[in-house]
Amino acid sequence: MKFRGGYNIDLKGRPGDEIKTLPEPDALYLSLRTARFTFSEVCVADGGRVSLGEVLARDPGNYSVPLLAPRAGVVRLKTAENHIVIEDIATTPEEPVRAEETAPHIARQMGSGGIMRYKLLTLGAWQFFYDAHTGSLPEPFRIPQAIIVSTVNCEPYLARGDVQLSRDLQVFSRGLEGLQSLLEYQPIYLVVPDIESAFAWQLREKDRGYARIRIVEIPMKYPNDNFTILARNLGLKPDNGPVWALRTEGVLAVDRVLTASRSCTERIISIGGPAVETAEHVETVYGYPLGQIADSYVGKANARIINGGVFTGRVIRPEQLGLDSECTGLTVLPEATEREFMSFARAGRHKRSYSRFCYLSALRGRFEETLTTAVNGEERACVSCNYCEEVCPAGIMPHLIHKYLYNDDLDEAERARVDLCVGCGLCSFVCPSKIELAAQFADAQDRIRREHQSKGVAQ
Amino acid sequence: MKSFLNLFEKLRPSFEKGGKLAAFKPVFDAAEHVFFAPSARTKNSPHVRDPLDIKRFMSMVILALLPVLLAAVHFFGLRVLLIIAVSYAAGGAVEVLFAVIRKEQINEGFLVTGLIFPLILPPTVPLWMVAAGIVFGVVVGKELFGGTGRNLFNPALVGRCFLSLSYPASMAAGWIRPGIGFFGRAFQYVDASDVQAITSATPLVLAKQGELAGLSDLFFGRIAGSAGETSALAILLGGMLLLLCRVANWRTVVSILGSFTILAAVLHYVRPDTFGLVLWHLFAGGLFFGAFFMATDPVTSPVTKGGKWAYGVLIGTATVLIRNLTGYVEGVTFAILLGNICAPVLDEVVIRFRLRRLRDE
Repeated sequence: MKFRGGYNIDLKGRPGDEIKTLPEPDALYLSLRTARFTFSEVCVADGGRVSLGEVLARDPGNYSVPLLAPRAGVVRLKTAENHIVIEDIATTPEEPVRAEETAPHIARQMGSGGIMRYKLLTLGAWQFFYDAHTGSLPEPFRIPQAIIVSTVNCEPYLARGDVQLSRDLQVFSRGLEGLQSLLEYQPIYLVVPDIESAFAWQLREKDRGYARIRIVEIPMKYPNDNFTILARNLGLKPDNGPVWALRTEGVLAVDRVLTASRSCTERIISIGGPAVETAEHVETVYGYPLGQIADSYVGKANARIINGGVFTGRVIRPEQLGLDSECTGLTVLPEATEREFMSFARAGRHKRSYSRFCYLSALRGRFEETLTTAVNGEERACVSCNYCEEVCPAGIMPHLIHKYLYNDDLDEAERARVDLCVGCGLCSFVCPSKIELAAQFADAQDRIRREHQSKGVAQ
Repeated sequence: MKSFLNLFEKLRPSFEKGGKLAAFKPVFDAAEHVFFAPSARTKNSPHVRDPLDIKRFMSMVILALLPVLLAAVHFFGLRVLLIIAVSYAAGGAVEVLFAVIRKEQINEGFLVTGLIFPLILPPTVPLWMVAAGIVFGVVVGKELFGGTGRNLFNPALVGRCFLSLSYPASMAAGWIRPGIGFFGRAFQYVDASDVQAITSATPLVLAKQGELAGLSDLFFGRIAGSAGETSALAILLGGMLLLLCRVANWRTVVSILGSFTILAAVLHYVRPDTFGLVLWHLFAGGLFFGAFFMATDPVTSPVTKGGKWAYGVLIGTATVLIRNLTGYVEGVTFAILLGNICAPVLDEVVIRFRLRRLRDE
């Protein structure tokens, strides 16, 4: 497979290999809004008791995906806006053994495959699935043209697959078998790093025997692990049906649901970044109070907590009180407060740049860089340096599309294939003119989509 | 440092909207940002940005020009520095004027233009001509198109072209015999009144009369010529730095020098008496300076890789043809301007092809 562009930054605060368990929280704050979901249909009453794994709310816009209670306790609906709060948490986090739920209408319609999908959906494993082309939640009762399972996470910092699997590779293999049973003859692409490591070797050995699992080795370069990029490079066209994509934690969730019939409310997330005191992977449940995490990991530093990685994550708004159910990592960046004196004339021993030799750091070996939220310069007109095109993993020409959009020519931008942008953010990162390319393209994609919709309505 | 920053903070209100000096906001901003990095923070993803900005980007070009500048002073004396001062002052005034009228930021690109321009002029050029040339170059070559990033032509070349067409006599005769010895003319001030030092001929002119300068003189720069273009060695030093830090693109340089070499070799092979040695032609005149510092200007050269190759070949070929087959002794200026004109078209062709390939994805 040939990958285009890509660039790795070596950010300080890389989470280590061990997984620590966070102390039990006093209360859980379950955000009703995540990147993909809006759990608007609340199924519990204020003040009522819930048991572990009970449905708290559903998202009617996404196949009624449920928000499950990670712990037993008392529900408060009015304590915080847009949150369901669970208080008086039961000390024993034991899930009641549930009677095998029967869904006769589904069994009649779709057979055992249908029941498995139903279980994945109701027990919270379906949320780990992505449509590789659109990034949205795929339709559960269809058969995809392929499933992509990625154990690679190149973005600093998201929970790494090798760390999540360090405990039990057996479970992962069983999960892959579970995935296979959802398919007829379609392939599963297992994406592993192309490096020589004990983990990669084990993974290859383990799954060599499965006929329909195809191992794909990719170089560890951001954003080669992007699902859309992977699907495109594997030649999986959107016209041939949906492509499901999931990461390591998704496969583990599938196994948990299909083998043990337990709900998936636990998460292994990474906490990393230059402003974190000890960067590590932690095991916890969603809804865990963010304030508590900030107290023990961020300290007093003036820092920005990002939900997700440093390239694609979103700033956590102050209204959000708990880890949301889609979080795979928190990145903590120091806010830029100092204004560097004559920064353009500095030797730059500590500044690594995409251009390499513009700073003295090029003469140093590998080192971990402390980046802040500083833009590091003023916005200028594009000088056509072509860096954006070199790093672009989608093979489009960001500078060209920028010029069309600057001219407010949406049609030309569409012809230049702005729709192929996967939003990795590398173009904005490398741009010496500090143009917000990625944001402009996301906006343009949005406008084009709306234009098509209104055209469709008109017809 | 703190008190210095406070000074800016104290002055800021009078430059803000409604302040007494609001019109000079661009000047204030430029001064502030020279000393202190802007305080802007990222708003959305990606949350971090590369440290490289346009200031650093342009500083690299100036850094790369230092060996050339030193060579120019060494061979042609301190007057080179005076020319540079005039060029910066006159061109900077125009840049500031346009920034104030347009209410835009002052662009760092000018610092490069203002330094390159003196280096492609004869070292005895009258100072008023320097001012006229840079003003014409900046206004017509850049500002009329909308400023740095939107210009079609290299402004320094437009200025130089303007001068050579308007004042051909003083532009062709004002050469200085290079200084010899360890210090050269590094501590001398030579202008047009110094009859002993003045010569009317550069190696290319002499070559048309059948007199060839020595190769090592050409390489080190011990020849008459424009202030910055004589020393191939100094240009190579700076040029390599530009290529290393990827401010200049190697494709442009390689294709210019490559196509020039091939065509010059063919001509030499066909008629060895009329057309000189390849290596001699490579080092003579402004080819090296043009290939490394002028043609590689990212704004006025094509963006696409294919476009860059074609652009380089066009410039290399045109230079050989103008030098050897026309009445002009040197063709780099015209060749690069020709390349600038063609750059958008070359890009357009390559982009068409690329978009056609993307259609399947």
